[in-house]
Amino acid sequence: MIGRVAWLLARPGTTGLTASALPVVAFAIVTALLLAVLGGAQTFWTWTDDWAVTYQALAVIALVLLVVPLASLGGAAARLSARRRDDRLATLRLLGATPATVSALAVIESAVLAAAGAVVGVVLYAALVPALALIPFRGEALGIEGVLLGWAALVGVPVGVVLLAVVSAVLGLRLVVISPLGVRTRQDAPRLHWLRAAVAVVVVALGAGLMAVLQVAASALVILGMLAVAFGGALAVQNLVGPWVIRLVARAQAGSAKTPAKLLAARAVLESPKAAWRQVSGVAMTSFMAVFAGSGVAVLGSMGGGESDRESELLIADIRTGILITVIGSFLMVACSVGVNQAAAILDRRDLYEALGRLGMPTSTTDAARRRSVMSPLRITAIGSALTAAIVMLPLTGITLIVAPASLLVIAAVLAAGIGVVWLGLLATRPLLVRAAGA
Amino acid sequence: MPRRISSGRMTPGRPNPTPVRRVGGARSGRLGCMSSFVIEASGLSRSFGQTHALAGVDLSVRAGESLAIMGASGSGKTTLLHCLAGITRPDAGTVGFRSGSGRVEITGLGERERSRLRREAFGFVFQQGLLIPELTAVENVALALMLNGMPRARAEEYGRGWLAALGLAGLEDRRIGQLSGGQAQRVAIARAQVTGASVVFADEPTGALDSVTSADVMSALLDSTTGQGRTLVLVTHDPGVAARCSRMVEMRDGRIVGERVAA
Repeated sequence: MIGRVAWLLARPGTTGLTASALPVVAFAIVTALLLAVLGGAQTFWTWTDDWAVTYQALAVIALVLLVVPLASLGGAAARLSARRRDDRLATLRLLGATPATVSALAVIESAVLAAAGAVVGVVLYAALVPALALIPFRGEALGIEGVLLGWAALVGVPVGVVLLAVVSAVLGLRLVVISPLGVRTRQDAPRLHWLRAAVAVVVVALGAGLMAVLQVAASALVILGMLAVAFGGALAVQNLVGPWVIRLVARAQAGSAKTPAKLLAARAVLESPKAAWRQVSGVAMTSFMAVFAGSGVAVLGSMGGGESDRESELLIADIRTGILITVIGSFLMVACSVGVNQAAAILDRRDLYEALGRLGMPTSTTDAARRRSVMSPLRITAIGSALTAAIVMLPLTGITLIVAPASLLVIAAVLAAGIGVVWLGLLATRPLLVRAAGA
Repeated sequence: MPRRISSGRMTPGRPNPTPVRRVGGARSGRLGCMSSFVIEASGLSRSFGQTHALAGVDLSVRAGESLAIMGASGSGKTTLLHCLAGITRPDAGTVGFRSGSGRVEITGLGERERSRLRREAFGFVFQQGLLIPELTAVENVALALMLNGMPRARAEEYGRGWLAALGLAGLEDRRIGQLSGGQAQRVAIARAQVTGASVVFADEPTGALDSVTSADVMSALLDSTTGQGRTLVLVTHDPGVAARCSRMVEMRDGRIVGERVAA
């Protein structure tokens, strides 16, 4: 029975092929980016000299930083594939389908779409290999052999992507199973507690305190431990406080909005501050890291002078390259995530957009509203995270400001460019909106 | 100043001109006291691929009347409504709209002008309400005025007035998901009326409601349109709803095949 219903649901609905194609494209991008990141990093594990461990440690940090936006994009893709059908699944639940049936249908559909996307992603990665091979580390390009992954990764990553899709589908559909009416009418209003902010302030202050007493630490191990606690603590706090801050700002914006676009944007964010945060949270880590590591590298670079050896100079140059790649990669993933989420939102609301078009609401107003609903949380996240890092690293950012002010300008410019990339991702979905409004 | 209407509720004044006492009882907008046409359509044709949704329709709508367009599914009634309202441009034929400032040929207008006309001169009520779920009831209504440039505080003031007039006092700050189907449809009626639209187009406005709520919503719709001298054009498949209008036309295969005027 499940197989028959799954086949019925798999047939293109009113949204046509787009509804199925979008998750496939999203999963393809996730797979390709994941393979590209792993391919780029694997070279570091082929080195065996004294510097190898340093590069491997830095690669792990970069990978961890990229995992967040990647997971966010993967989650967006999985939710998109699940959401395509959740209304129909909720209807099935209302008709008496058991929770097991609904879950099985969600899993089957998500797994099939993810598998199709993962296969396309492997092909995309293969196409990216020549470009990845040109990235320079330790004075020379990585080369094709350096970035080409083995069979284990080429099979393992797609399998992992499919699993991610399945888990996301099951988690996302808990609401359908628990309360089908809640999904159909979308009546839940989210609440977030102010206590999050209090915890955040304490942790950031603790992080700043740790960094201030860093130089009195007895050993390198203790210093590393304190750095990890400050870095990890500040990042954890961002996840805790991010949705709360976004909601607070949106509520203020909703109260003072004077134009339809501003009102619609603020209300859209208030509808789900957690979703707004999830969409751009990858930028929080990257932005934090850009200031955190960027300041350190800038200070190290300015202290080097003519006495430093070539390997040290290369290391500093490579860290700069690594930061740049991580920031660009992170923003690219967030841009993709925003594109996927926005495309899904437009498809979900096409009846409403069509009706608003008939009422005479200009598409430019609708478009401005959804742009604001993404860009406002993004700006808050990028700038807020950079400021948090600056506070935690206050002695270092202060020194950087004096000895290498241009570095901070470069960091700011890269973040601004990243925000621009996300804006482009948003722009890419405009034709879909125009079609929906004029349908 | 707001005036009372027959239901005893209060309604706001401008931009929707102050309502007057409803005169038509269950059926309003009698033809006997009206003669000027607010909408005149001539020779309308519209095809979708091989399907001829409209095949040479002539129809005039008098100011202040309530006109029901009936017909089976696929008879062309919604396409006709869309052409009359400037949502869809017909393949052939013309639609003229007469207002206080003169006559406008809707079919000769560009997309932007038609969009502006719909925003400023017409009101719409759809079967599902199609309200913006993340906005509150009053914001949904006020948005129609804000789109025309009215400051938000004033727009919300009018919105609250209209919601109260339609029996939704106290529910203004609820989100749409927190309202019943009938209440949501009343919000949609308030949204259609608040701009002072001279013509309201309704596409199966009671199609998703039970019979009691349907009668209630229909009364609210008539009260707030023809009850105030405005024009209502609605598409319905429900003979009970059509019977409450002052005139009914029946469509089949893209043509008007029958017309009945209320006694």
